[in-house]
Amino acid sequence: MTSDLSFLNNIRTALKLPQGAERTKNMFPALFAKPDKSKILEKIANRSQDEKALLVDQFKANCVTLKTVLHVAETAKEVEDITVEIIRTKEPEFSYNRHIIQHNHPDISGMQLWKRFNRESVTVHTTFPGDPEITEKTIAAYIGITVPRISIAESGTLVQFTTPGCPRSTSLVPSIHIALIRGEDLVADLEEAYALIEEINPGESFVFISGPSKTADIEAHLVHGAHGPKEVHIILLKEVEKIPEAAAESQLANIAEEEACQEGTTKENADTVKEGTAGLEDPAEKMN
Amino acid sequence: MSQKTGSTYNQDAKKAIDSPTLQKNLHNLYERFGKGAMQVWEELEDQGMRDRVKESRMRTLAHLDIVLAELAENVRKRGGKVYFAQSGQDAIDYTIDVARKNKVRKVVKGKSMISMEIEIDQALAADGIEVIETDLGEYIIQLADDRPSHIIAPCIHMDRNDIGQLFTEKLGIEPTTDPEKLTMVARKELRQELLTADMGITGCNLACAETGQISIVSNEGNIRMVTTMPRVHVALMGMERVTATMDEHRETIQLLTMGAALQKLSTYVSFTGGPRGKDDPDGPEEFHLVIIDNGRSKILEDSDFRESLACIRCGACLNICPVYGKIGGHAYNSTYPGPIGAVITPLLDGINKHADLCKGETLCGACLDVCPVRNDLPRMLSALRYKLAYGDNHWNVRQHNVAESYVYAAWQRAISHSSAYRRMIKTVRLLQKPFIGKNRMIQRMTGLAAGWTDSRDLPPIAKRTFAEIWDEKYAKPQQQTQEIREEKTDD
Ligand code: SF4
Repeated sequence: MTSDLSFLNNIRTALKLPQGAERTKNMFPALFAKPDKSKILEKIANRSQDEKALLVDQFKANCVTLKTVLHVAETAKEVEDITVEIIRTKEPEFSYNRHIIQHNHPDISGMQLWKRFNRESVTVHTTFPGDPEITEKTIAAYIGITVPRISIAESGTLVQFTTPGCPRSTSLVPSIHIALIRGEDLVADLEEAYALIEEINPGESFVFISGPSKTADIEAHLVHGAHGPKEVHIILLKEVEKIPEAAAESQLANIAEEEACQEGTTKENADTVKEGTAGLEDPAEKMN
Repeated sequence: MSQKTGSTYNQDAKKAIDSPTLQKNLHNLYERFGKGAMQVWEELEDQGMRDRVKESRMRTLAHLDIVLAELAENVRKRGGKVYFAQSGQDAIDYTIDVARKNKVRKVVKGKSMISMEIEIDQALAADGIEVIETDLGEYIIQLADDRPSHIIAPCIHMDRNDIGQLFTEKLGIEPTTDPEKLTMVARKELRQELLTADMGITGCNLACAETGQISIVSNEGNIRMVTTMPRVHVALMGMERVTATMDEHRETIQLLTMGAALQKLSTYVSFTGGPRGKDDPDGPEEFHLVIIDNGRSKILEDSDFRESLACIRCGACLNICPVYGKIGGHAYNSTYPGPIGAVITPLLDGINKHADLCKGETLCGACLDVCPVRNDLPRMLSALRYKLAYGDNHWNVRQHNVAESYVYAAWQRAISHSSAYRRMIKTVRLLQKPFIGKNRMIQRMTGLAAGWTDSRDLPPIAKRTFAEIWDEKYAKPQQQTQEIREEKTDD
């Protein structure tokens, strides 16, 4: 077994440094110097409507190239309708059951999808922290819904951070990934995205996603859906439209409520449970 | 031509040239990705980017001790384990130890060149652990019990018929040659493995010291699966594959995906640097980063070759290389084929042993032009040839071909003295007569020289050389005889 010290010492010898002289990063401040990012962050924050429109166009064009399906929505209600439409029209790949899994995020729970499907055999799971069955549910799901924190116009990329309520597998294991993004989270390029990432300082895990999974290993013939999602749908909510305060508050209540209705729910009784809680609130009202 | 070194370079090259499938695929690779990368560089808005990245790569290498210490510290802060492996064997021992402690029965792998370099699969298998490659190309190679022939496109030597047949034989599917159908078969097969494996092994494209993360690019998504679903993740990393800062990381990773596949970004770039968080429902419970030297510090030490460690393994130099483009990857008989392989394989594994590799390349310079970090591979190939020609103690190189060195010494003497040269021409003109064929070309030579005419004819030395004709026509009258002229010029 080699130790750190002997390994690094060996490198120092190779670099022809005097023996035993351990160097530390403090001796070379330039090595880890951080250029000032405030200009970039300002630029992101103060973009004009016209500039934003240009970014959306660029993002759109890149989505076409990448075979990402981009839906542009004007209102939260539209986002919801598009989501429901995708879920209704797509068929599960690996089983006959229609399970979907969604991140525990206010933009998603606000849609109250489980209510929209209360008369259909669609089971909606949410990745609540602490649920030991998340992996199982994710594997069973044919659609995963997430809210990537940043999108990049230049490359048609989504940046998905991992947090306890937003696990890695949701955008990976199901056959279809639906990403809900907001116009204001769209940045121009990788440089801006990195500046934001460093600003936000996410945990140990995050991923850039540009389009559906693909491979060209057989005769350089492009095929989508190698191991990850075969389809990526991005629903871009165009206007700088924040969820109304009241709605945001009552989402907490929703989450609790959903939790109650979904915990331990199996395929057999899912529909009945959902039916039982349906109609408590009108989801459409909430979002607008 | 090559001495008998037990190397299979010549035979394998010949096999490759005789394979129409490979030739077709190599040609497409060159047309699309080789030329494509050149075009990407030409059209790059920010023309300073490649030089900037090269500069940062070289700076990192010059401070590698500091950068690696920082990387290790930051990974450990998050509860990740870091192990520095001096040799490939160290890395294997450590990984097997982790596997045993975690009672691992099945390992899924994401494409990793270094795992092949240190030959970890064989060691894991010997320990009774099932190892499954998950990159589609690597999976096909594994099923076929073959060797990859390109660092980005491993099964470029196979066509859809080969692969269809293989899948029918090994997986019992209905015969098909449709790439889409074949991919879906593999998707289903591998999904099972990915969801049930105990441990994932990946390489590392580029770590970032300041955040304590590794990043891995992939288009298929297998890397994300391998780093998310199994309980344990072991990342094997060549010690040079690191940047100090995120800014450097951003530009370097962009060059990598552009050079490799002309993409602005690959489909996925995964950043990971520790085990799952306390409340995270997925991600590995244990994360191990194994930082491997395995001969790299010796390259680092030599200022002639340090530059080769700036390589980001994009594969562009393979795609553009006229030699690789004909002989394919197998002839290199190494984890790393193509121009970059011709430089680092001898350095990592013995210069004499891989003499054919550095001698086989043409030094045309295409690899230098296409390399995102402008690695001067032709210069390094020449340096390697120099060592082979004269021997080198530090690198333990014995003179590759002593007879050849005498021939060249004599040649040097001959061509630097015009009288000797002219005498030699006259002699050869006589000697060549029996070898001139019907087409007035030399079709076959003997002995050492035989290789020259194996696959081409040589023009014989002309009855009168240009210099002789010139002399006859324009020589000043007083310099009538050859002898006088020779005396004049021969000083
Ligand atoms: S030497 Fe340059 S072109 Fe070749 S693989 Fe390395 S980075 Fe790419």
